[in-house]
Amino acid sequence: MAAAPAPPPENPARQALPVAAYPEVRRYAAHVARNRGRDLGLTVALFALAAVAGLFGPRLLGALIDGVQHGTTAGHVDVVVGLIALFLVLQTVLTRYANLAAGKFGEGVLAELRENFVARVLELPLSVVERAGSGDLLSRSSRDVDALSQAARFGVPTTLVALVTTALTLVALALVSPWAMLPLLVIVPPIWVVFRWYLKRAPAGYLAESARYADMTDGLTETVDGARTIEALGLQQRRVDRTDEDIRRQYAAERYTLYLRCVFWPTAESCYIVPVALTLLLGGLGYIHGWFSLGQVTAATIYMQQIMGPIDEMLAWADQLQVGGASLARLLGVAGVPADREPSGARPSGEDLVAADVRYSYIPGREVLHGVDLSVRAGERLAMVGPSGAGKSTLGRLLAGIHGPTEGSVAVGGVPLVELPLGELRGQVALVNQEHHVFAGTVRDNVVLPRPEASDAEVGAALAAVDALTWVEALPEGLHTEIGAEGRTLSPAQAQQLALARLVLADPHTLVLDEATSLIDPRAARHLERSLAAVLEGRTVIAIAHRLHTAHDADRVAVVEDGVIAELGSHEELVAADGAYAGLWESWHGRGAAAGERIETAKQVETAKQVETAERIETAERVQRVDTVER
Amino acid sequence: MRHLPEPDPGTPDTRSATRFLFWLVRKQWTTMTLGAFWGVVWMVSQALMPAAVGRTIDAGVTAKNSGELWRWAAAVLALGCVTGVAGVLRHRCAVTNWLTASYRTVQLTARQATELGATLPSRIATGDVIAIGTADTSNIGSTMDVSARFTGALVSIVVVAVLLLAADLRIGLTVLIGVPLITALVGPLLKPMHRRQSEVRALQGRLTGRANDIVAGLRVLRGIGGEPEFAQRYRAESQQLRAAGVRVARVESLLESAQVLLPGLFVVGVTWLAARLAISGDITAGQLVAFYGYAAFLVIPLRTITEAWGRFLKAHVAATRVVTVLALRNPLRQGTESVPADASRTGPAAGTGALADTRTGVAFAPGTFTAVASADPAEAIDLADRLGRYRQAEGVTLDGVPVDALPLSRLRRRILVADNDARLFAGRLADELTPAANGVHCPIGAQRSPGQPIPPGQPTPSGQPTPISDPLVFSPTAALHTAAAEDIVEALPEGLDSAITERGRSFSGGQQQRLRLARALLADPEVLLLVEPTSAVDAHTEARIADRLARARSGRTTVVFTTSPLMLDRAENVVFLVGGRAVAEGRHRELLATVPAYRATVTREED
Repeated sequence: MAAAPAPPPENPARQALPVAAYPEVRRYAAHVARNRGRDLGLTVALFALAAVAGLFGPRLLGALIDGVQHGTTAGHVDVVVGLIALFLVLQTVLTRYANLAAGKFGEGVLAELRENFVARVLELPLSVVERAGSGDLLSRSSRDVDALSQAARFGVPTTLVALVTTALTLVALALVSPWAMLPLLVIVPPIWVVFRWYLKRAPAGYLAESARYADMTDGLTETVDGARTIEALGLQQRRVDRTDEDIRRQYAAERYTLYLRCVFWPTAESCYIVPVALTLLLGGLGYIHGWFSLGQVTAATIYMQQIMGPIDEMLAWADQLQVGGASLARLLGVAGVPADREPSGARPSGEDLVAADVRYSYIPGREVLHGVDLSVRAGERLAMVGPSGAGKSTLGRLLAGIHGPTEGSVAVGGVPLVELPLGELRGQVALVNQEHHVFAGTVRDNVVLPRPEASDAEVGAALAAVDALTWVEALPEGLHTEIGAEGRTLSPAQAQQLALARLVLADPHTLVLDEATSLIDPRAARHLERSLAAVLEGRTVIAIAHRLHTAHDADRVAVVEDGVIAELGSHEELVAADGAYAGLWESWHGRGAAAGERIETAKQVETAKQVETAERIETAERVQRVDTVER
Repeated sequence: MRHLPEPDPGTPDTRSATRFLFWLVRKQWTTMTLGAFWGVVWMVSQALMPAAVGRTIDAGVTAKNSGELWRWAAAVLALGCVTGVAGVLRHRCAVTNWLTASYRTVQLTARQATELGATLPSRIATGDVIAIGTADTSNIGSTMDVSARFTGALVSIVVVAVLLLAADLRIGLTVLIGVPLITALVGPLLKPMHRRQSEVRALQGRLTGRANDIVAGLRVLRGIGGEPEFAQRYRAESQQLRAAGVRVARVESLLESAQVLLPGLFVVGVTWLAARLAISGDITAGQLVAFYGYAAFLVIPLRTITEAWGRFLKAHVAATRVVTVLALRNPLRQGTESVPADASRTGPAAGTGALADTRTGVAFAPGTFTAVASADPAEAIDLADRLGRYRQAEGVTLDGVPVDALPLSRLRRRILVADNDARLFAGRLADELTPAANGVHCPIGAQRSPGQPIPPGQPTPSGQPTPISDPLVFSPTAALHTAAAEDIVEALPEGLDSAITERGRSFSGGQQQRLRLARALLADPEVLLLVEPTSAVDAHTEARIADRLARARSGRTTVVFTTSPLMLDRAENVVFLVGGRAVAEGRHRELLATVPAYRATVTREED
């Protein structure tokens, strides 16, 4: 490589989750060492014992060779070889248990780490997760956990053992002659300089490498998930180009770290041989001048060769530990996201929901709600209508306490929602939106999320309340049918029904329904809403809807326009006020008027056509029944 | 270093995992060969080190010959430097080998995903395809990486064996027999390890799937308070994975200890044999030292061989998975791409875009704006999929030609089915909205002169991007206007240049829907099938869209599957679908008056 490449820049398109700073990583490592001190101690002790057992073999072999050189018996050779074999077996057994202990320790640490990671992610503010994209999270929970697994299982024990071995060998070297350590000092400055140079750059380099890898997997995930859209719009070439561009960027990151190693490794490796050559040369000259014995020169040379193994191992693992540290920083980084809620311990004194001068902006400086005041009485049914993008959904999320407002407050019974712990909050107010995600697991697993202890009968009742019991029972294994990513695919309407069933089971006193039935066909939705209303009798319901019949049936209607509540009142009041809502209603009602108007003219339409159509419907329905039976 | 990624990853050999791996090797044989060369230099230079040190002691130190001493000490230094330099050159090749194979696999997977297109989810779990990117490519890459050291190990063993054979036949034979024997003894441990590792991988995949669920479902969980239960489930599966990991560690630790024991016994055996020979005077003491040095050195290549074997096994598992995906063929595409061009090249002349289906009895005249109302939305989706040939489409014709007989890529350019499952992709908004007609990147703002209706899919003689007939429709501004989506863009910090997140998650459902509509309009297909394009927008916006849609698509066949009275009212013609069959047809108001079942389906008034 001709010139030193710069670390690749961050991908500006995405706001990645934060990465933990070094002191945080160190604190965590110390915390693990304390918590799992016994496991770690056992692992290190076993590795150290194995290393010590391993030191005996070469010593005895050396002695054997010496003995042969100076004349010995075959019997003595056999005894020494037997002894060596014995230490070998001992070392084998110790190695086995040391590795097993390392495996148990590493797996334990990893499980804890990824579980904490997921627990933290589950508490992250939604906006942060959505901005980060799934690739960032996915690569953290899979690739970083793997990288860390290598470091935790092998890196830490190996480094510790190498440290012990190096120390022992240094002692042996000093015992031969203090002068024998001199050649070693020669290489300390160059190795130190290049090692520092490397360590200063490596973490950022490896972090960038991981991040670019995440972008690459992210792009691939999008391509796989969106395969149909890609085909429909003929985006194949664009996706292929995107993949290649991601690879190009990843390659740049890989080349940067390769460049770092290309400077570090050969320097270090060339340094290893210098003390050996120097020992031979200086020792040899010393022997010629009678300063050292031949035995001293030979022993010093052997030790010098032996000490390079563990030193190399430490330097090599320093690299791996850097990778592990980088991964750990990424895993711990999610904790660095500022919490958007802070439990104050206060308990709500009622069920009234009050929003006061609520402002909200997703992007600083881009306010989407400009001071909303709204008070919802317990048991009230409030409908929120307004044009798309007016801020209805945002207000709904604020009213359900999913985000805290940027300014102002949303409080239930006098306590701001962001001051309630999540568990407590969901007992008060819950939200279902048009998102129709189905979790991997059974139907039951999907429904009982808010109340895992619910009985099958309760789940059945919740499903019945949302008109879903019939089709769930028709599934091959009913409630226990696998659905989601690895199971049966549900229609969006069915998924929405499950979401509503969850809500029924959660049973909070206030519900926010954000277009919660928008994917269900209108006739079925009407039936579902009635059946749901019966179950939710007495609950406060805030329904965001574009179907105005919801507004018509509500106690009050709030019209949200351009981030403020433009009108608020009962349906009749608002129609009478002849404002925005009246306009909406007219546009809506116009459909009915059109129908009425045409009913007049209908009389002029030949009855023959009606009869004909009715017959065709009948035939079609009959055929469909036959189809269904055949299927 | 190689320029990566390569523009064309090539056509893989997918007959078996092994063939695929060899195909990859062939594709990068230059760096594979170079890597192997440096691997040999690196390993052999290490093998010769004991001999060089021995010579320094014998010829320099013991003989008290300072000239020889200087010479041999310099030789030791040079040999060490050769090791260092060859090591890093080998590493560069190894990294290149790793990345080349990994990237090629990613490229192939992405290309295969676009090739399978809409049929992908029905053929294979998407998680399996994604796992290729996250895990399999690494395993395949690491096998390419180890190949250089593997070759070096093999050659150095041969070199040492030859040196020993020259010195003493018995010792040489012991090494030649012992090395394969040890490898064979370690081998049986690899199988169970391999099996348990697959088990861990499967669990890891599931756990990754759970993590994916978190991102996709966090909104849902957050709304309902399902986090503790979800965390609980994740913990349970994570613990399963931990247990499986410990089971792997059990086998791995056996392997580790075997790698201490077997080469150790080998060294002890050779030394014992050599010592006995030295005592009986068959070899010299100096030779004994050298033999010991060689035997001790052999531990390194032996380990490399075991490591490489393990990696080969892993790579084979990974390659099996990759081959499974790559070998899939798109069932819709089969046998139709080679249809004679005359059937597919029915000209770009005006009056094309007549779509008809004999099974349901629907027929859409060229250039008309039709609405289809279905009592059951699933039937509407079925019909849209049939018309667009996303499933078996017997009886569907486009301008009289069965759609089954049209090459799929051409058909896709002529008929666009835009449904609510369509994805928005991460990227610059302007890019993501721009159609990819002809595969020619059509830059935003490109306009074609009026009165020149060339449908997408027909490159102009000059090879320029498809010109656009109505600048009002084909500029993003106009499409956004038609989709009543200007406000979305206006609210973005950098307007059309803003980056949008994966799946357009930062937009509300209604906003996403309008952006998808704008994208579909910009694609400007001959026939546009819109499935419930306004289901998530409010009445005002819907009315605006309905008004603008007809104008924007004038002269081109447009079919809207909807039950919204507003949209139906704007259609030139409405088809009413019951039981998947067209039972009535006419203007919206006419059907309202004459067909009670239609009225019940489309009006939201209380009965």
